[in-house]
Amino acid sequence: MGRDLGARAISRYLVFLLFLSLFGAQTSHAQQTHPTESQVKAAYLYNFGKFVTWTGTNAGSSASFDICVLGKDPFGVVLDSTVAGGNIGEKRVTAKKISSLQESDHCRIVFISSSEQARLKAILAAAKAGGTLTVSDIPHFADKGGMIEFVPQENRIRFEVNLPATEEAGLTLSSELLKVATRVIGKTGN
Amino acid sequence: MAVGYSRSISRKLTVMNMLVSAAALLLACAAFFAYDQITFRQSLVRTLSAQAQIIGANSISALIFNDPQSATNTLSALKSFPNIASAGIITSDQRPFAQYSRDAGDEVLNIPAPPDGRLEAYWFRATHLVLVHSIVFQGKTLGFVYLRADLHELDQRLKRYAAIAFVVLLLSLLAALIVSALFRRSVAEPIVQLAEVARAVSQDNNYSVRAAPTAAQDEIALLIDAFNNMLQQIQHRDNALQAAHDELEERVEERTRELVSSNRELEAFSYSVSHDLRGPLEVMNGFSYVLLKSYANQLDSSGKECLQSIRAAARRMSELIDDLLNLSRVTTSVMHREEIDLSSYARAIMEELCRTAPERNVEFVAPIEVKAYADARLVQIVMQNLLENAWKYTSHHDRARIEFGFEDKDGRMICFVKDDGSGFDPRSTDRLFQPFNRLHTSAEFPGNGIGLATVRRIIQRHGGEVWAEGAVEKGATFHFILEPNRGTEAGRPV
Ligand SMILES: Nc1ncnc2c1ncn2[C@@H]1O[C@H](COP(=O)(O)OP(=O)(O)OP(=O)(O)O)[C@@H](O)[C@H]1O
Ligand SMILES: [Mg+2]
Repeated sequence: MGRDLGARAISRYLVFLLFLSLFGAQTSHAQQTHPTESQVKAAYLYNFGKFVTWTGTNAGSSASFDICVLGKDPFGVVLDSTVAGGNIGEKRVTAKKISSLQESDHCRIVFISSSEQARLKAILAAAKAGGTLTVSDIPHFADKGGMIEFVPQENRIRFEVNLPATEEAGLTLSSELLKVATRVIGKTGN
Repeated sequence: MAVGYSRSISRKLTVMNMLVSAAALLLACAAFFAYDQITFRQSLVRTLSAQAQIIGANSISALIFNDPQSATNTLSALKSFPNIASAGIITSDQRPFAQYSRDAGDEVLNIPAPPDGRLEAYWFRATHLVLVHSIVFQGKTLGFVYLRADLHELDQRLKRYAAIAFVVLLLSLLAALIVSALFRRSVAEPIVQLAEVARAVSQDNNYSVRAAPTAAQDEIALLIDAFNNMLQQIQHRDNALQAAHDELEERVEERTRELVSSNRELEAFSYSVSHDLRGPLEVMNGFSYVLLKSYANQLDSSGKECLQSIRAAARRMSELIDDLLNLSRVTTSVMHREEIDLSSYARAIMEELCRTAPERNVEFVAPIEVKAYADARLVQIVMQNLLENAWKYTSHHDRARIEFGFEDKDGRMICFVKDDGSGFDPRSTDRLFQPFNRLHTSAEFPGNGIGLATVRRIIQRHGGEVWAEGAVEKGATFHFILEPNRGTEAGRPV
C-alpha cells in the first residue's frame, strides 16, 4: 500500500517536472525571439489607426475598421493574428486582402504591396478620394505621394510621413505619430 | 544668607520659565517639522506622479512605434527639474527602453513594476524617492516610467528648520528671562521678604516685626497674611506670658516681704521673750544659791538634793535661753563676707575639743587649706556646731574618725563634715534641722537640738544649702555650700 502511494507521488512529480520544463522552455523561447519584420509592420499598421482621425467621406460608413492589403500579401496570417480581437474606437478591426481599391471603399488603411508599384499613381488617387491612409514599403513611397512609408533603419522598421498627402485625403495625424516618424514631409519648419 | 535665598528662588523661577518655554517651543517645532515632512513628502509624490504621467503620455507613440530616441527626448525635458536624479522607461516586458540621468554615470536602477492592479507605486529610500507609473494606452499597458528624486531638499529643510528653531529658541529664552524678571517682583520678592522677616523673628525673637503685605490677591498674599496673623498671636501670647510672669514675680516679692517682716517680728519677739525670761531665772538661781549656802545646815540631804535639781534645771534653762538668743542673733546680725580658711577653723575647734577629753581616741582629717568667701563669725558657728556634733555622736565608740573636706561639683564648692559615729535614721533627715528636734534622747547624748537649726539659718543667709546623710551606727555626713546659687542673692535675711 505505502509503496504504491510513494510510487504514484513520484510519478506525479515527474510529470509535473516535465510539464514545467516544456512550458518554461516555450515561454522563454517566445520572449527571446525578436518579432519578424512583417510582424512589426503588421503591428504598425494596426497602431497607425490609433493616431489618425478620419474626416473623409467614407469615415464611419462601415461597421468594421478595415485594414486592407492591396496586391501580393507579404503578411500571410500575421496581420490577421495581429488585429484579431482588436478595436479602434468602437469598431472591430478586420484585415482584408483586396486586389483593387475600388473593390472595397471601406478601407481605412491600405497597405500597398510592392507588387502594385506600377499602378501606384492610380491607387494613390483613389485612396485620396476615398480618405484612405496609404502605407507602403515601396522605396520613396512618401516622396511619390504616399502617406506613410516604412523605411528600414538600424535593424528597425521606421516610417516617414507625407503630411500634405494625408491632409489632402482629409486625414489628421496626431503629433505623437509625427514625433516618432523619421521624416515628415511638408511639416512647417522642417 | 538672605541674599542667597533670594537668588535661589528667582533663579528657580527663571529656570522654570525658560525650561517651560524651551520645551513648548521644541515640541511645537518637532510637531511642525513632522507635519511639514509629511506634507512635503506627499507633495513630492504628487509632483513626481504628475511628471511621470506627462512623460508616460508623451512616450506612448515612442513605445508603440519602438522609437527610444523620441522617449529619450521626452525624458531629457526633466533637466529643468534638478531634484530628479534619474528617470527611465521600461517596456511592459521589463526591458529598459529609454533612460535619463542628471549626473553622468548614474547607475540604472532595477525598478520593479507596480504591483498588479495598480497604476502607480512609490518607495522612499534613504536618500531617494522612487516612483513607478504605468503607461497605459487604450487599456493596454505599454510600459512603465520611473522617476528617482533626490531627498536632499528634505535635509536642507531640516537644516533650515533647525536654524529657525534655534533663533526662535534664543529669542523666546530671552523673552522668558525678561518675563521672569518681571514676575520676580510679584512672586519671588514677597517670599524673600517673608523669609527675611521669618529670619528676624527666629534670630532676634522679635515678634513685633511684620511682613509687608502685597497688593496681589494670590496665595503669597494669603501666606503673608497668615504669617502676620501668627506673629500677632505669638506677640499677644508673649505679652500675656510676660504679664503673668511679672505678676507672679511681684506676688512672690510681696510674699517674701511679708514673710521677712513676720520673721523679723517673730525673732524680735523670741529675743525679747528670751531676754525677759533671763531676769526671773537669775533671781531663781541667785536665791537658790543663797538658800544652799546660808541655810545648808537647816536642810537635810534630800532638801539639798531638791535644791541642787532646781539649780541644775535653772542652769539648763539659761543655756536654752542663750541658745535661743544666739539663734536669733544669727538671723539678725549684719553679714560681712571675707576670705577665710575653713580648715584652720576646723583644726582650732578640734584641738579645743580634744583638750576637753584627752583620753578619747579620735582621728581628725582635714586639708591644709579650704578657702571660702563668707562671714567669718557665722561660719565659725557652723563649724563649731558640726564638729561638736561629730565629736559628741562618736563618743560611744572606742575609736572615731572625723573628717573635714570639700569637693567640687559644677563649679560650686561643697564642704562636708563626716564622722563614723552612731549616725541616725535616714528617714528623719528633714527633722534634723528643725529647732529643738532631736533624734537621740538626752540620756544617750545631751543637747538642746538647736545646733543644726542655727547651722541652717547661717547657711541660708549665705544663700547656700545644707543637707545630711547618715544611717544608724554608720556615721553621719553633713554637706554645706556657702556660695550663693546662680541668681540667688547672698546675705538676704530669712
Ligand atoms: N554627727 C551626728 N551623728 C548622729 N546624729 C547627729 C549628729 N549630729 C546631729 N545629730 C542628731 O541631730 C539632732 C540635732 O542636733 P543638734 O546639733 O541640733 O542638737 P544637739 O546636738 O542634740 O544639741 P545642741 O543644741 O547642744 O547641739 C541630734 O539630737 C542628733 O540626734
Ligand atoms: Mg549639736
